[in-house]
Amino acid sequence: MLKDKYKDRIAAIFAKYPPERKRSAVMPLLDIAQEEYGYCTEEAMREVAELCGIDPTEVKSVVGFYTMYYEKKVGKYVIDVCDDLPCVLRGADKFVNYCEQKLGIKAGETTPDGKITLNVVMCLAACDRAPMCQVNTAYHYDLTPDKFDKLVIELKKG
Amino acid sequence: MADLVNLTIDGKAVAVPKGTLIVDAAKTIQNDIPVFCYHPKLKPVGMCRMCLVEIGTPKMDPATRQVVKDDKGVVVIAWQPKLNTACTTPVSEGMAVRTQTTVVSDAREDVLEFLLTSHPLDCPICDKGGECPLQNLTLEHGPGNSRFEYENKQHNAKHVPLGDLIYLDRERCIQCSRCIRFQDDIADDHVLQFHERGRHMEIITLSEPGFDSYFSGNTSDICPVGALTTADFRFKARPWELGSSPSVCNHCAVGCNTTLNTRLDTKTGINEIKRVMPRQNEQVNEIWLCDKGRFVHHYTRAGDRLQKPLIRQNGQLVETTWERALDLVSSKLLGASSVAAVIGDRIANEDAHLLTKLVNSNAKGETRLSPALPASYADLARDYGVGVGFDMKQLGKGDVIVVVNGDVEEQAPVWFLRLRQAVVDRGAKLIVSNHRGTKLHRYAAHIARYEQGMAAQWAAQTDDAALSTEELTKARNVLFVFGDEKLDAVSARGLAQILVGKLVAAGQIGKPNSGLLPLYPHGNTQGVFDIVAGTRHSGNPGVLSVDVAWLVGVGDTSDAPKARFSVVSELFMTALASVADVVLPALSFAEREGTYTSGDRRVQRFYRALPAVGQAKPDWWAVQEVARRMGFVWNFASPAQIFTDLAANVSYYSGLGYEVLAKTESQWPPVGRDDLYYGGTGYENDGGIGVRYASNPSVISAPTLPKMITSMSDLKGPARKLYQTGELIKRSDVMQTHIE
Ligand code: SF4
Ligand code: SF4
Ligand code: FES
Repeated sequence: MLKDKYKDRIAAIFAKYPPERKRSAVMPLLDIAQEEYGYCTEEAMREVAELCGIDPTEVKSVVGFYTMYYEKKVGKYVIDVCDDLPCVLRGADKFVNYCEQKLGIKAGETTPDGKITLNVVMCLAACDRAPMCQVNTAYHYDLTPDKFDKLVIELKKG
Repeated sequence: MADLVNLTIDGKAVAVPKGTLIVDAAKTIQNDIPVFCYHPKLKPVGMCRMCLVEIGTPKMDPATRQVVKDDKGVVVIAWQPKLNTACTTPVSEGMAVRTQTTVVSDAREDVLEFLLTSHPLDCPICDKGGECPLQNLTLEHGPGNSRFEYENKQHNAKHVPLGDLIYLDRERCIQCSRCIRFQDDIADDHVLQFHERGRHMEIITLSEPGFDSYFSGNTSDICPVGALTTADFRFKARPWELGSSPSVCNHCAVGCNTTLNTRLDTKTGINEIKRVMPRQNEQVNEIWLCDKGRFVHHYTRAGDRLQKPLIRQNGQLVETTWERALDLVSSKLLGASSVAAVIGDRIANEDAHLLTKLVNSNAKGETRLSPALPASYADLARDYGVGVGFDMKQLGKGDVIVVVNGDVEEQAPVWFLRLRQAVVDRGAKLIVSNHRGTKLHRYAAHIARYEQGMAAQWAAQTDDAALSTEELTKARNVLFVFGDEKLDAVSARGLAQILVGKLVAAGQIGKPNSGLLPLYPHGNTQGVFDIVAGTRHSGNPGVLSVDVAWLVGVGDTSDAPKARFSVVSELFMTALASVADVVLPALSFAEREGTYTSGDRRVQRFYRALPAVGQAKPDWWAVQEVARRMGFVWNFASPAQIFTDLAANVSYYSGLGYEVLAKTESQWPPVGRDDLYYGGTGYENDGGIGVRYASNPSVISAPTLPKMITSMSDLKGPARKLYQTGELIKRSDVMQTHIE
């Protein structure tokens, strides 16, 4: 249970919000849940809902809205490629195809070794340097098949 | 009115109250700007973009801060460069709106083209087909073809149970969020939300149990497409094949107006209720129903309805003719030295009146209400009840609502919705006092607690500042909502009396929106009480001992008098029917007409929707037949005539009659069926909005009361839950998992 294991951190989070606005803590609590379980399990969402005093459906809605909350197990590295319109105008759609082919998986899937998950996501605010992607928290710009191959070699090492 | 705002819509002048949205202003002049996400009962969100219009405001000279006029002296309009949503923009003085230009109709076409990119277009098998805003607006404003490739249509799950009562078809959903907003803003059960974004956005729930809300059926009504369907009506009939009859729900004190949709069932060959829909009455239920009122109707066509009269022969109940049964009952009544009638509180006023009239002709005849406990305070609830002009929608800032010893969501669900809005949306102050928690506690400014059964003692002794005479005097209005849960007759009456005392002390008597509002067990508790109250008295039937007892619609076995001979009028072979000497098959509310009186004393008509079952007859008919055999010259041809007699005998009802009860008023917003504009499959009010009779604060209590109270000393109000089991709910398949 998160509430026992992360008692102090949770208390510190709630301290930031007025007592009648406990629901505001939903995102930082989901961060803890994701840290603990690797992704937001249904159980974790129910737990967060209880902590914040809201309905589990509302928690799942938050998780669904943000691409960095995961609802299934992901690899050690998550590659998010933006395929919104401006990025596609700079070739992001073809780039996604290349990534899928290179990794041997479809967007939304994880490599069998559990290392890499490939996702397509909404705006990452870097269209001027598309195709681009985010690997966990780091941005990579102006990507080409070549650059991506090198990136994958690096990631598979780690 | 001082607060009127003037504007023009397509050149036509309109004046509407300040704050009105453009869509509603246009609706007042029959200009239907197409909408999907907008619903006049919900907060606007501007999600679907269907209502785009051109909006302009008078051009101002920045230097002089004066309105600019052209050479002809006409005000110059500064048109906004982009289209805007009419559903989120309030009107302003001098505003001009264009709804019929090419840009506007192009925008409508485009929005519809987008909405239909992945729509399955399965209207031929869709429950909403025929009453669907998407269908209608596509015909009226749609592009006629699509530039999207058919292969790119997204396919989604089509039978997603959101609970066992409501199914979601993900392909049909147009993401308008009406269902979510209803659950969030009106029911306050946050069980539906959106998940994901863009093309992947869909409705989800993690609710456990599924769709955990007493109001889920309403989402299916207001869904502008066929995405939400009820387990009850799904694939059962097409809307245009249905007959519709105005009716009134009798399951609680609210008295929701309903429309019964009926059709011949192809399998059984009998006419049955296919669905129960809200009938708009802004004074009663607006356009809402609770799920009990909507889904319990199946008992009307249950296979075990009594079809023929039965009499006891050699210890067994055997079928007989009406002739023989009526002869037997009348001969027993003629020979009886003492007679009692016990009348259930879902029985129509007309039947209650006629039976009371008959029993009263016996020198020792007594009439009683069942359940009996409400008789200990119903006179106070009536005489100190809310005023004739009571309007729950007017309760708001400055008003105090006190809920004592009641669980409004469980016991009068639609009042819960409406009281909640008075508090949450309009700022009324809510004080809740109970021995346990209730959902209304969430919105209370002030909470008091007492030991179970001690409500009256609490009310008598409380030194709570929020309930001081000073505070209550200051309030614009004071509404006391109260119930009898876990109270005996002395404390139930005591509680009502103390509340009356507080109203009197605070000078809150005689105002439309101040007074008592009782949480009665069923839909005609007040009506039956009003009728029996004036007769030989109305205490606990269980303590009576008589020659002949006639029980009509009595559920509780403890309400049966000791009787040498008992007659039971019933729909089913209930516990009481099975021990009776004569059992008379009755008609359900759907098979006959009549009136009920709601907890706030609104007398409302319901109409016949179905043919009779077997030889079953209305109770008033059986009573009249018996009376005639006893020598009375009664010639009541219809409930309407009986009601006239009732109104002549029960003073509170004087001046009322079937005609005035059938009067309607135009309702705003127009959400009825003939006007599909706002979407929603509820019905317009075609059967009458009913009339509330006046309270009478000058009479405090009937003199027989103390004796009546002693007769009820062993009664205690149950903790009534909405889905607690009973003869009616247990015969509804769709409700099975909900029954407690
Ligand atoms: S299910 Fe119906 S009401 Fe709910 S968002 Fe979809 S279309 Fe709107
Ligand atoms: S709130 Fe009461 S009257 Fe209205 S539908 Fe429900 S049970 Fe019937
Ligand atoms: S945006 Fe106005 S009706 Fe949907």
